[in-house]
Amino acid sequence: MNTDTSEETKPIARKRGIGWILGTIWISTLSFCALFAYQLPFITAYGEKITVAGKAKSYGWGPGAQAWLGTDKSSFDVLSRCVYGARLTLLIGVGSTIMGLFLGGVIGILGGYFRGRIDRVVSIIVDSLLALPPLLLALLIVYRLDDLKLKIWFWGITRPWEITITLGVLAIAPLARITRAQTISLREREFVLSARSLGAKNSRIILRELLPNLMPTMLTVAFTGLGILIAAEGALAFLGLGVERPQTWGKLINISRDDLDSKPWATLFPCLFLLLTVISFNIIGDRIARRFDIREATL
Amino acid sequence: MRYLVQRFLQFSLVFFIVTFGVMVLMRLGLNAPGDPARTMLGGTVSQERIDEMTLRYHLDTNLIVQYWYWLKSILWNQDFGYSVQQNISVARYMRPNILVTFFLGVYSLIWGLIIAVPVAVYQAYKRDSRFDKAGNFFSFFFISVPALVFAPFIIYIFVTKLNWFPRIGEKIYPWDDLVGHFQNFFLPVVVLSLPTAAVFARLLRSDMIATLQSDFITLANAKGVSPQRTLWAHALRNSLFSVLTSVGVQIGGLIGGALVVEQYFNMKGMGFLLITTILSKDLFVVQSLSAILVASVVFANLGIDLMYTVIDPRIRHARALI
Repeated sequence: MNTDTSEETKPIARKRGIGWILGTIWISTLSFCALFAYQLPFITAYGEKITVAGKAKSYGWGPGAQAWLGTDKSSFDVLSRCVYGARLTLLIGVGSTIMGLFLGGVIGILGGYFRGRIDRVVSIIVDSLLALPPLLLALLIVYRLDDLKLKIWFWGITRPWEITITLGVLAIAPLARITRAQTISLREREFVLSARSLGAKNSRIILRELLPNLMPTMLTVAFTGLGILIAAEGALAFLGLGVERPQTWGKLINISRDDLDSKPWATLFPCLFLLLTVISFNIIGDRIARRFDIREATL
Repeated sequence: MRYLVQRFLQFSLVFFIVTFGVMVLMRLGLNAPGDPARTMLGGTVSQERIDEMTLRYHLDTNLIVQYWYWLKSILWNQDFGYSVQQNISVARYMRPNILVTFFLGVYSLIWGLIIAVPVAVYQAYKRDSRFDKAGNFFSFFFISVPALVFAPFIIYIFVTKLNWFPRIGEKIYPWDDLVGHFQNFFLPVVVLSLPTAAVFARLLRSDMIATLQSDFITLANAKGVSPQRTLWAHALRNSLFSVLTSVGVQIGGLIGGALVVEQYFNMKGMGFLLITTILSKDLFVVQSLSAILVASVVFANLGIDLMYTVIDPRIRHARALI
């Protein structure tokens, strides 16, 4: 149900707009650089310091020819730090989105399709997950996982996995909520009725009739959510819960923010990376939503 | 009425589940007898003190009984427990930090609404105008900007370059120094309220556009109600639902954003306290803080439900919203 009726009449090319193009270019460039960080010549190796007259100097270079985006406190290249950070950030974002899509989708469809008692349980789970501020929930889970892996179970679990799991848990509630709402409206439609009257089983109706129709919505929320999860990962790293190596954007921001006054590049460029990535994912999500006529999904 | 009671029960259930969940989460791995007390006391302590603590807070019983005692002491005696590590009662320990976050959250929410409502109403009224397009652009932009990124840019521009505001270190309460208080809170509130305003504006605009096309607006126009009155009284009232609903969701997001913003502006708020206490495993403080956060989210949602019934009397009689 799109309230913007005038959008319908406009040609598709008009709909995409400059933002979409820039967004996809940014995401693909970033992913490409991140993927081939070791091979690309203009990205210095992760541990390599850029020296000033043979010596490592804190914030030795501003943005310029030696280091495109300047060097940071430990005289590392900010650009290469950002790209290496992106490797992990993107991986964590995608991983947790997939986890959220799967778990949230499953409980959302179950709740919306079967209604009754199952629906009650699903609603309560979703409400409970939403009742705690998301970042607080993330803090609690990461810290506890960190503790527990030393104590009893989860020996093998590493920081990136902890964060992926945590963010995946955060993604469950919004996805479950929107899937449930969509399922509720879809299950009353004629095609579901006709499938049922032909004797289709519940599993078939869910997988063959409902799921394809839910996909656009879930995809939209997933893309928008990807941006939000990447921002959340940044916030976690910023608050000291990041990955040690490679340092992600939040960590980079946190390290150099005390010198924001005199050496702004070391803080502002990682910020810019994060900002552009989040905006790009939001734009892509937004365009998919318009393409499939989905009403705003508030996350 | 029945609707409200139902919502109340539902929200209380959520409150109990979440606070119990936090308790279980914090206690995981502390299985040996005396473990919780030892963790809370921190460092090396004598067996007597551990036993004393265990006895006083019933830490040797099972979790549900402990939860019951904990909840009872909060609800009946307003006793949040004792932070042994800080040697101070949890309530006094939390108070200044909660106030900081409270001010941040409330100001940002209010400013978010103050900015969003007129902008969105005018956008919907002058749909597809240049103002509308600019508004759409900015709301999209601010929705996407995380506090983590927004804050350093704001600090760099307004503190470093223009030097309009101080880098904030200390807390100033409004009853001590009103001007200083607002000076200190201005930038953090800007960082938190603009994204909030953007969310509200976006929702309100699309709802307003839908409302403005409905029959009763045409009727109002036809019978000669002034356009301003139609817009602000008739249309706005019927378009407030999504915004109100999202206020409930936004509170959680605001608190999350506040955690980050507090760090940038060196304000010791709830976020700072939470991180400290989760790390030092001050169990009672963590439990109380999360209980307070959950309670505020839950109460806000209940309040919003109440407001629904004020705005739209039909809901008083309906059983439930989807």
